Amino acid sequence: MHIPDSFIPLDQAVIYWVIALPFIIMSMRWARKELDEMKVPILAALAAGIFAIQAMNIPIGMGTSGHMVGAALVAIVFGSPWAGVLVLTLVLLVQGFAFGDGGITTMGANILNMGVVSGFVGYYTYAVLRRSLGTSIAAFGGAWLGLFISSIVCAVQMWIAGTFPLVPGLITMGTYHLIIGFIGEGLITAVVITAIAKSRPDLLEDSFTVRSEKSKKEAHAWAENRT
Amino acid sequence: MGGKSNLKFLYAGIAIALLLSFLAPFLASPDPDGLESAAGGIIEESKLSNLEETEPAVSAPMPDYSIEGMGKSGEVLAIAVGTLAVLAISFGFGKVFNKKA
Repeated sequence: MHIPDSFIPLDQAVIYWVIALPFIIMSMRWARKELDEMKVPILAALAAGIFAIQAMNIPIGMGTSGHMVGAALVAIVFGSPWAGVLVLTLVLLVQGFAFGDGGITTMGANILNMGVVSGFVGYYTYAVLRRSLGTSIAAFGGAWLGLFISSIVCAVQMWIAGTFPLVPGLITMGTYHLIIGFIGEGLITAVVITAIAKSRPDLLEDSFTVRSEKSKKEAHAWAENRT
Repeated sequence: MGGKSNLKFLYAGIAIALLLSFLAPFLASPDPDGLESAAGGIIEESKLSNLEETEPAVSAPMPDYSIEGMGKSGEVLAIAVGTLAVLAISFGFGKVFNKKA
């Protein structure tokens, strides 16, 4: 879904940059407030993994392919959509400047769509679903919906840009990304989150609270045993 | 608990990312992605070829994840270089922008 320079006129592309900037700044403030020395390796590993997996296009039929975006995955691991915005900004910078994947003028729009929209929709859908449906299904649903909504936003931008007609744009972008989102985003996010929940439950924000409650109980029990 | 096992996560992440870099040039689908494919289906041909012929605003050193004249090995190298660049940049960013203890 990386929009090339030619798909959005420069004046509109600048507006998307202006809208994206506060989100980028907020994601840096998130890092200053929440990212500790211990979490830096996790952030770097996820960013590298997401860059690499974005090169792995999966065929979805109809002569079309798609790949994972990953903002929802990062947001779920760090318990904040700002982490998703941050990682996608870094990934899109390298993709745009080194590989011409996504334009430089349109990078603001790409950061908005893939970082902000898919990160926020993905994370908050996950947060709402996880209590009733559990971590894995919630991660799947959040990531899937995040990618779908982001493709709808992209289709609307393409219409405003005069590049796509509205209704055919919405239908084709929506259809392709429902399929890409199911396999490329939903399934991979669910598998990775489930694997992390099993091997490193302490990493997921949700388990942070569970763990601190548990350690409080243990401390309490220990104190009682002493008396 | 802590630093050591997070480094394990980092090494596992790097291993998976590099494995994907080596596999992607051979396994990734060459079909256009959702946006390109939609463009091909709903924009009239003359307008589409205009859009596609427009040069990007800044020309990239390794366009389309390839290195000129190096074929598949160039693609592997390009994606691996990108992976390591993202790794280094995000690590460096994290070192500068974090909650100082």
